[in-house]
Amino acid sequence: MITLEDKKLTFRFPDVHPKACLDISFLRTLRIPDDGETYPLPPGLDTFPLEHVDDHMSKVPGSWLKHGGVMLPMHQSEAMWIKFSSHQITERRQAYPFAIKIAAGKIDAVSGKPWTSTLNFDHQNYVVSPRQPWLDGFCVEEGTIRQFVAMPLGEGYTVEEQLVDGAYTGGLQIQVYPMKREAFEERYPEKQDPFLEQPYVFYSIVDTPKLSMGLGAGGKMKQEIKADPYEPEEWALETSSRCFVHLANSQAWQAITGSKPPTKPLSAAQYSDHKLPWFDHYSEGPNVTCMDILSGVKSVNEIAETKGLTLLENDSVDVDRVIKLRSKYDTDQVREGEF
Amino acid sequence: MATQFGQFLRQRREELKETDSSYSLRRVAEKIGIEPSYLSKIERGIEKSPSEHVVNQLAAILGEDPDVLLAMAGKISTDLAEIIQKRPQVFAELIRAAKNLPDQSVLRVVREVRDGDW
Repeated sequence: MITLEDKKLTFRFPDVHPKACLDISFLRTLRIPDDGETYPLPPGLDTFPLEHVDDHMSKVPGSWLKHGGVMLPMHQSEAMWIKFSSHQITERRQAYPFAIKIAAGKIDAVSGKPWTSTLNFDHQNYVVSPRQPWLDGFCVEEGTIRQFVAMPLGEGYTVEEQLVDGAYTGGLQIQVYPMKREAFEERYPEKQDPFLEQPYVFYSIVDTPKLSMGLGAGGKMKQEIKADPYEPEEWALETSSRCFVHLANSQAWQAITGSKPPTKPLSAAQYSDHKLPWFDHYSEGPNVTCMDILSGVKSVNEIAETKGLTLLENDSVDVDRVIKLRSKYDTDQVREGEF
Repeated sequence: MATQFGQFLRQRREELKETDSSYSLRRVAEKIGIEPSYLSKIERGIEKSPSEHVVNQLAAILGEDPDVLLAMAGKISTDLAEIIQKRPQVFAELIRAAKNLPDQSVLRVVREVRDGDW
């Protein structure tokens, strides 16, 4: 079951384990320059607001109601990262493991293949929490991703528009599989511890590409997609929950929800000018080797150039301060500066 | 109840201190901005009513669920109290009706994110 709790999606699997719980949140960040350089991790600025699509039935497109799920506002060419926080099982001193599939426009962000509802154990198409604390973009080569950058659907910028012909989906798709309880308890022994449907009514807003955003490939960033350390049979493949996350153009957000969207984030240049830190995260163990599909996609800036357009705020920046995050990531560890 | 809360806090903190010295009484108190003697009193059950703010900070530092720690301290979080106070009849009825339900059934009462057809 999935609930929306204060700007985060909470996935629970009480049928598998009473405490199997994973929070997924979507964080705003600066868009790193799309200039061929590979940048370190940018900071998390704040969390995108989330709303149930069903709470705005009269104002969202019919396709959004069909997909269900939640929605969040993004400015055009704004970047985001996705944070995974698996809850700690206190008595076993271990966060519960989850396999998480992430797709943008139904293109798998790890493998680049079209969306399927299954885990592929030969060519890993998912990330594993708590080992993977976050995902910032599409895996384009081992140890490198291209940042998730919001672009309007229908203009050729998004990754799905480069890889799929026909109707575009946009948004983000997430599916979560918990580890089987027996496998978890065997691997992590207990440590000593004290304790409706409604008729849909459509009004003025039609499903134009301007409202729905998809994710394009931004600048390159150093980020490892960690290989699954568990055995295939340890995952509860018959028990999963999935959620569609619609990306609303921030200009339309207020018309839909009545709430103001967040302001535009800092640019990478403004951030670096203030000598604010970047981050570097390293953890041991093998990485997923990315497939060629995503390494061949064009970045948002490359597509803009072919159209004779210029991507604003794309100047290269000098990275002066890089804070190394410790290898064993703790969910409380902060990838955020003081602003 | 407060004594059980204090015992739990001390046990959890001491366990964490075995591998990380920043969980000493003094350093945990510093992080929260209280006197070590005050934290010691909480742990020994002498101080029976630490503020919600202090309990929440202790939960964050010790990696515990704040609602669980507040309950152990005999408290309920302000946001939950406000939710009940806004619609006292309906929530009182809901809580009383659900009091003996197993956890899984209670969780099914909450609003789920609707999945549709992709």
